[in-house]
Amino acid sequence: MLKFIGRRLIQMTFLFFLFLTLVFFLLESQPGDITSQFLDPNIPAQVRQLIIERLGLDGSVWNRWWNYITNFVTGNLGVSFSQYPRSVFDVIVERIPRTLFLFTFATLLAYFIGFTLGKRVAWKRGGFSEHAVTIGGVLLYTVFYPWFAILMILLFGSYLDIFPINGFIDPGFWRNAPFTGNEVFSQLILSLAIAAFIVSATAILARRQEERRTARLIRAVGYPLSVIVLVGFWVIRSEMRPYALDIVHHSILPIITLALIAFAGVMLLTRSSMLETLREDYILTARAKGVPEKDIRDRHAARNALLPVVTSFVLGLAFIIGGGVVTETVFSWPGMGALLLNATVIEDVPVATGALAFIGVLALLGHLIVDILYAVLDPRIRIAGRE
Amino acid sequence: MTGRPTQVTEDQSTQVDPTELEELTPAVEVGEGELPRSLWRVRLRLAWQGFRKNWRLFAENKIGLAGLIIILIFAVMALAFPLLRAVGPWDNDAIYDPVIGYDAPVAELEVVPTRAEVTDPTQQIDAIDAQLWCFGALPGDTCRIPQQPAPPSEGHLLGTDPLGRDIASQLTFSTRAAFLLGLIAALVTVGIATSIGSIAAFYGGWLDNFLMRFADLILLMPLIPILIVMSGLWEINLPLLGVLIGVLNGFGGTAIVLKSQALSVKVKPFIDAARVSGGSNMHLIFRHIVPNVLPLSFLYMMFSVTEAVSLEATLSFFGLLNVDMSWGIMLNTAQSQGYLRSGFEFWWLLIPAGVAVTLLAAGFFFAGRAMDEVINPRLRAR
Amino acid sequence: MTDTRARTAGEETPSPMPGDEAPLLEVKNLVMNYEIKTGMVSAVEDVSFAVPKGRSLGLVGESGCGKTSIALTLMQLLPNNARILGGEVVLDGQNLLELGEEEMRKRRWDDIAMVFQGAMNSWNPVYTVGDQIREAIYLHWEPRPSYDEAMAKISELYELVGLNPGMIERYPHEYSGGMKQRAVIAMALSCSPKLIIADEPTTALDVIVQEQILEELRKVQHEFGMSVIYISHDIAVIAEITDLIGVMYAGKVVELGSTREIFANPRHPYTWLILSSTPSITGPRRQLAPLEGEPPNLLDPPPACRFHPRCPFATDICHEREPPLEEIKPGHWAACWHHEEVPTELVTESR
Repeated sequence: MLKFIGRRLIQMTFLFFLFLTLVFFLLESQPGDITSQFLDPNIPAQVRQLIIERLGLDGSVWNRWWNYITNFVTGNLGVSFSQYPRSVFDVIVERIPRTLFLFTFATLLAYFIGFTLGKRVAWKRGGFSEHAVTIGGVLLYTVFYPWFAILMILLFGSYLDIFPINGFIDPGFWRNAPFTGNEVFSQLILSLAIAAFIVSATAILARRQEERRTARLIRAVGYPLSVIVLVGFWVIRSEMRPYALDIVHHSILPIITLALIAFAGVMLLTRSSMLETLREDYILTARAKGVPEKDIRDRHAARNALLPVVTSFVLGLAFIIGGGVVTETVFSWPGMGALLLNATVIEDVPVATGALAFIGVLALLGHLIVDILYAVLDPRIRIAGRE
Repeated sequence: MTGRPTQVTEDQSTQVDPTELEELTPAVEVGEGELPRSLWRVRLRLAWQGFRKNWRLFAENKIGLAGLIIILIFAVMALAFPLLRAVGPWDNDAIYDPVIGYDAPVAELEVVPTRAEVTDPTQQIDAIDAQLWCFGALPGDTCRIPQQPAPPSEGHLLGTDPLGRDIASQLTFSTRAAFLLGLIAALVTVGIATSIGSIAAFYGGWLDNFLMRFADLILLMPLIPILIVMSGLWEINLPLLGVLIGVLNGFGGTAIVLKSQALSVKVKPFIDAARVSGGSNMHLIFRHIVPNVLPLSFLYMMFSVTEAVSLEATLSFFGLLNVDMSWGIMLNTAQSQGYLRSGFEFWWLLIPAGVAVTLLAAGFFFAGRAMDEVINPRLRAR
Repeated sequence: MTDTRARTAGEETPSPMPGDEAPLLEVKNLVMNYEIKTGMVSAVEDVSFAVPKGRSLGLVGESGCGKTSIALTLMQLLPNNARILGGEVVLDGQNLLELGEEEMRKRRWDDIAMVFQGAMNSWNPVYTVGDQIREAIYLHWEPRPSYDEAMAKISELYELVGLNPGMIERYPHEYSGGMKQRAVIAMALSCSPKLIIADEPTTALDVIVQEQILEELRKVQHEFGMSVIYISHDIAVIAEITDLIGVMYAGKVVELGSTREIFANPRHPYTWLILSSTPSITGPRRQLAPLEGEPPNLLDPPPACRFHPRCPFATDICHEREPPLEEIKPGHWAACWHHEEVPTELVTESR
């Protein structure tokens, strides 16, 4: 298992450098060099030459490439043009938690609902519900996403007026707030992370128990405990609570919208994966053993149907990150995606390429997590060569 | 028993390259003297039979048929545009040009002194607001205000946009661009992916390894942010966008799928047979492997179109492309003029373009899914 | 379709063991069809047989003749498009076809266990073999045993089938094909069923492992005194381990009798022909005669006797009237109008 993760890490590092190289050549490929693009064309030639030398632009391509890579690894991404003199790194790091928040919740929601619904639809082959859910899923899968996001805003924001139409916080409400948005947001993430940890620890512990009664007991303690801890956290921090709720209120609609888009693909894939699994011999064996139908569906079929779904997450990752950029822009959610787009529009090249590189890192990390998760789920990979 | 001849094809498929089978069959079918001409007839007939068999399978899939119908409707729309512009009723350039046309119905409003006195906003306007259109208008005057965007009317079936341009004309005009973009993207994708997949499968070794790792990387990278940054560095127009999408897709996931298909072709006996009879590597790749990968390539062309159409619309919607008019631009115009956030009141700005993108993308996706079931029998419902 | 259904109804079930032995399982006039787009596939047509307690019965026939369909009908594990149109499956005096789904689920494995064709795929790849055997034990033992009790039982069974108990907590992919099949047998025994159905238990295995597995099966059958139904396309394999044989053709049982009797004195032309096409190690050397033709399409089976298109003895009566399954000799049943004409000598190929 450790060997597997180690090998994966090496592969990822290689891919990461390949990706940085791609970004570098993307930068290189723009017409003219940075001085002709962004400096006053009337500056004296000597000054221009000095700038070129100071920026290290006079070396060979390989020199510049090496500079770019070493700078990136040491966290030096240059200085933002539009938010001068903040460093690109700072600008990006501020945005990362917001993007991860949106992204994590939307992904979890999408995979949870998509998988649960997909396995049920496949199980009850035929009938009205299968058609309705499948057609709905396909439509969501192909819908023009920014347009769909606008429709969601119009429906839930303007028409039903349940959620705010955009933004991360309500500026009027925060005018005299004793905290900054980032402070409250980091507490929010902390509390959610603690609760998530308790939930997953409970699930893993309960799964390991052979006796059903012990497993039930662990679940009966663990799940409520996570809720209690979450509530308790915000009882203690009651002065921050209204502001945290404001952030939550703003985040619900973008999360749901992004989840809906990603959910469709997960559901369609789960459905076909499940249909395939149900034809396997071990399903027949389980039936012959007298295993109740619900257990056959969940313990035997769905558990195996999950494997290709997890693999597909690598593809889904690109899809959902792209969707995230659109979501952040349409909802004015100040994350990395919105940053990337705004920086592009105002020609802040260092920030735009820096954000792109970070999105790449995000994708690679997601890929690594999926690989490890897959190995945990599939014993054929986990304990290859134990003998 | 119309299935008979194709049945034979399947049985022999392991020994004989199915794409060359036509050349072997005529021996029993035609007399010697007229061989050259009849050969083509036999080929055509076999192709027709294959097509008919596949069509029957395809037609069983209702969603696939629906997709095909959607594509056909859009094709008719694309063809209708030049016709309608040339012979009418859209032959007036000043009004119906999708980019520079202008037409706004004029509302004649009575100017009243204060906002409180406006009882019917379609008939009256207060003096302050009226200054925007009729400078110097006094209460009691009549002020003529051009209406843009205007709701659907007889002259403009889908209304006009915030700049007074005809929506229906923009919609049909953009269809052509969407098809063009889809076609470019699909051709480039498939051209690159088929070559790369076949070459990687054929040569194997480090070349295969490198190409596939590279494909992994591209597959992993979200296209939208990459294209956004590219659009900041270069001027991107429609054909260039098509090529870019094609290149990124072609080096990525599609290449991986086509490689595994090419790999399964490579181990078939007819490749050995061709090699033994002295075929060069290039001959083997392009005469034997590529033709057998093509059906799957064609399938991925469909999915490529879906992707290209929605990517273009997304980027245009953000205003990042150098494009005069497209469905994305239509939404962008409405958005940037502030008409999208105000609810469904200006639905004709919101609905037609969004539905068009969704439907065309869905049409190609549905058709692709149905073709997938024809090509991969494993997927067929039993 | 045919006039057969009325025939055997009400009469005694054809039992290859005359009189004294009480049957554990009786199948009476079972009719089962698969409904497909183009019509009904007559997969099991008027099948009757009995299996005495502690005995083993072999069902033999070409692939697609309905052997597996019978097994799945006994277990009621048929796919959704299967229709049981008539008949009874009586186990220990109770008709299983009358049980509700939930009752039947509890009876599975508890009363009838099954060893499936293709051991490779009988195990769920994401759980250990031990997990999967314990699942059966937890479901069926009354009261539910503790983990340790279950493990003790599994270790005992592993010893019995010749597996190392240290393998219990391993995953299926860590087992070889033969080990998987042994583990399947252990799992089949875990709830001490009255009847085990072994569907092509050795087909996917190599010859030496086949022998071992068959030996294992015979051993446990004698030890536990349970009844076993073997299903195979290979009459030679069946003959080694079964007391009785039922020969199936196109969804029907055409001959039924003790293994010795069937081999010595086949009375149905089909049995005679498959015996002629099977090499014998102990018998005299002879040229083998391949079986000509293909089994019929069960969507539209031949009228009356389904074997008549391939039968060398066929006359007019064979495609006009269905031959009944008659007891031609105590414990030996055959369904053929011309059973007396079938020679005792096996056919040899004439070149």
